Amino acid sequence: MSHSIRNAVRRHPEGVTIGLVILISLAFAVITQGGWVSIGNLQSISQVTAVLAIMAFGEAMVIATGEIDISVGSVSGIGALTFLGLAPVLGSSLALLAAIACGILIGLLNAVFVALLGLPSLLVTLGTLFLFQGIGYAATSGFSFAATDAVRREFIYNAVGGGSIAGINVAALWALVVLVLLQLIVFETPIGNRILAVGGDAASSFSRGVSVTRIKFGVFVVSGVLATFAGMLDAAFIGYADGSFGATMELSAIAAAVLGGCHLAGGRISLIGTLFGAFMLRGIQSFLILLAVQPQWYILVVGLIVVLASLADRTLTRFALKK
Amino acid sequence: MGKPDGAGDSRQPLISIRNVSLFYGNIQALNDVSVDFYQGELVGLVGDNGAGKTTLIRIISGITPPSSGEVYFDGERITKFHPKKAIDLGLECIQQTIGICDNLSVGRNYFLGREPVKRIFGLPFLDKRKIRETSAKVVHDFGLRDTVDVDDEIALLSGGEKQTFKIARAVTFRNRVIIMDEPTNHLSVRERAHVNELAVQLKQQGLLVIYITHDIFQIHRIADRIVILENGRKVTDVPRDAMSTEALEGIIRDGGRGPAKGPKVA
Amino acid sequence: MRRFLRRSDIGIIIGCIFVFALFSLWNPQQWFNWGTISNVAQYTAILGLLAIGQTFVILIREIDLSVGSVYGIVGITFLGLESSNVSVLVSFIIAMLFALLIGLVNAVLVIRGKVSSMIVTLGGLFFYRGLIYVTTHGAVTGTPRAARENWLSQFFGGHWLRIENGFLLLLLLALLCGVALFHTRFGNHLLALGGDPASAESQGVPVNRIKTSAFCLCSLFAGLSAVVTLANDPSTNVSLGTGMELQAIAAVVIGGTLLTGGRGTILGTILGAFFLTAVRSEMIALGAPPSWYISFVGIALLIVVTINTVLAKRLKSV
Repeated sequence: MSHSIRNAVRRHPEGVTIGLVILISLAFAVITQGGWVSIGNLQSISQVTAVLAIMAFGEAMVIATGEIDISVGSVSGIGALTFLGLAPVLGSSLALLAAIACGILIGLLNAVFVALLGLPSLLVTLGTLFLFQGIGYAATSGFSFAATDAVRREFIYNAVGGGSIAGINVAALWALVVLVLLQLIVFETPIGNRILAVGGDAASSFSRGVSVTRIKFGVFVVSGVLATFAGMLDAAFIGYADGSFGATMELSAIAAAVLGGCHLAGGRISLIGTLFGAFMLRGIQSFLILLAVQPQWYILVVGLIVVLASLADRTLTRFALKK
Repeated sequence: MGKPDGAGDSRQPLISIRNVSLFYGNIQALNDVSVDFYQGELVGLVGDNGAGKTTLIRIISGITPPSSGEVYFDGERITKFHPKKAIDLGLECIQQTIGICDNLSVGRNYFLGREPVKRIFGLPFLDKRKIRETSAKVVHDFGLRDTVDVDDEIALLSGGEKQTFKIARAVTFRNRVIIMDEPTNHLSVRERAHVNELAVQLKQQGLLVIYITHDIFQIHRIADRIVILENGRKVTDVPRDAMSTEALEGIIRDGGRGPAKGPKVA
Repeated sequence: MRRFLRRSDIGIIIGCIFVFALFSLWNPQQWFNWGTISNVAQYTAILGLLAIGQTFVILIREIDLSVGSVYGIVGITFLGLESSNVSVLVSFIIAMLFALLIGLVNAVLVIRGKVSSMIVTLGGLFFYRGLIYVTTHGAVTGTPRAARENWLSQFFGGHWLRIENGFLLLLLLALLCGVALFHTRFGNHLLALGGDPASAESQGVPVNRIKTSAFCLCSLFAGLSAVVTLANDPSTNVSLGTGMELQAIAAVVIGGTLLTGGRGTILGTILGAFFLTAVRSEMIALGAPPSWYISFVGIALLIVVTINTVLAKRLKSV
């Protein structure tokens, strides 16, 4: 009996996160006397969760290979600014393509340094974080880019964040699409097997013929694209963006991934867990707002949770691996 | 157990190493090593710690390119060194510290790098049934206890079981060369005997088997040829019967400066 | 001579000489006036102190992402105590003890809890920043006049022969730490632990004690940096220190220390801090928008890491 519990925990580490989230959600609902679970509130939470989740999915892919990408916050800013900056001029469709292209290029830039030159990803993405933060500020020169009314009426604009379906912002649907796609890729394809292998033991994977370079290129490009996409979704929803767009979001993305059961050392990923991790972070934020508690408690709580979650994860892993 | 021909062999070597040197920074791991390997023979690659055996294997299996010198496979010069190339050429390697990803299941480890796929709408998806069935059959054929489920993480296996797994994997993929780096580590006495029998069987089936070991006595019993490396150089390359075990051991102990070396194979 | 060229900080030494010469020749009035010098000295001191602490941690292959928030919270604690009419000396001691405590917490979580330092200090970054906001309710009071004129405040914030005391303190501590790192057993152990943890442990290096010391030193220096900042300029706000952890890491890395541990110098770190500060100052003087400086740091980081890693691979034996 205990053997099967161990198996369950080992194969589905995100189960604990999901369980916790459900419990916490119930608590929130009760404490706010239903306010937290009101339609309006849930709609709002779903939008911010989706944006964070999409960014965190990309981060999780990078972390799965044993690397890290702390540039995703600045990169989401680039996505937002590119989209809002170009949409009034070129129309939403081209602006969308441009934003995605930026994501691909930035991902390639990171990948060249990490995968080809073998530099530590923490430092490389720290460098690109600075670089693109600066570019973002320079491009806006202290102002913000805003969507014009004409742009807001465009279909594409609404499709990538401006609109809602049945009250739920489209970002939530996009998040589900990305989740399903990545879940399939990571767990049901050879590429996914190799991603996990590289994160688990890059040298062994290499000796079995896996192209570690190509795998790392792939995950950094995915991370870049998802970061710009997330930025675009959020920018389209809010309607404007300035140079500070996305700043410090990389920390939340990493926190969401870690909460979701991804190991920073690589080799273990849970996309569903990451989604719930993002939901937990944004849910707590919403809860604090509803209670009219100083919003700054949120950051404090996030810090605590991230560390506690890691501690718990370590204990659980040891428990699950006992033979 | 036929011996390969002596000098003047008309058969082309399957693998030919010519004047290969390798530097790690300032340290020279291999110094002008030349050796030929033929199909259908079992070569014992012996030497003390740090002699360069594992380094040579890393070059042959494509992990590291040499700093200088040439490597030929089937008469063709190898210009790009990548493990994928070696595997495609039919080379399987059982290495000491690498080869297994602890976070993957037994089945996924088994097929890593050549996962079987089933195409859905033209896209490659893992054929999980084939992974499970094939790997389960192989590892159980090789004696892994039945309670091991190939969907379990390989981290749950003991050292000996992991070693058995590596051997099973190397042996059952269709290939031409098997390199075993200290394959009897972590194994019981009976299991060791089994591995050595296996090495001989593979050779008899026509494969080239390169067997690295410390244990000169053990390898002397099964090898056709013994190659001794010392401090990055090849110091001996003789057919098994040319020298006694004690003489060979003496060479290793004396660091390659021992008494008369036997007749050299080209 | 060859050994000199193989120092980890040779790059930044050349870089600093180059930058210094360039700015002196290009814009001498701007560069050589006391206003600029004082400014550069002060900011180099602040960033430098933060970076020295971070150096110890990076040398043992760990990282401390919380130093910006620690800087903030220790600084604000210091100010808060002073405003409550606690003597400057006592305020300082309490602030330092607080910093030490934070370092210990980090160490315990990493060593005992076996959580990676990146996560622990990432959590710390959030937690302490949140704690600042929550305890101050967004408002930070300045220091009373008497406190500003106190001898200790003057020690940290004043001048001596027109040179910022903070900068002199930086030089002194850098010297002490450099000596500690390369000429004491502690330093030897630390470098060994970073260079090859397995061997170090088997050679009897007290791993846990070294790690704890490194984390504590890091937080202490962060706190000290805050005190130096505020003694000189007690006006501040709740976002004090935001982003400083990244700048500190950049300074350390540009100074030649490798993330892979075991290789780096204190001199390199303070030169890295000087380099970044000097460029920033010159950029501002030339009227470039602040965003250009941030981009510059990013590019410099990428270039330096590339060069350092490639060089290190050439020098490494196996």
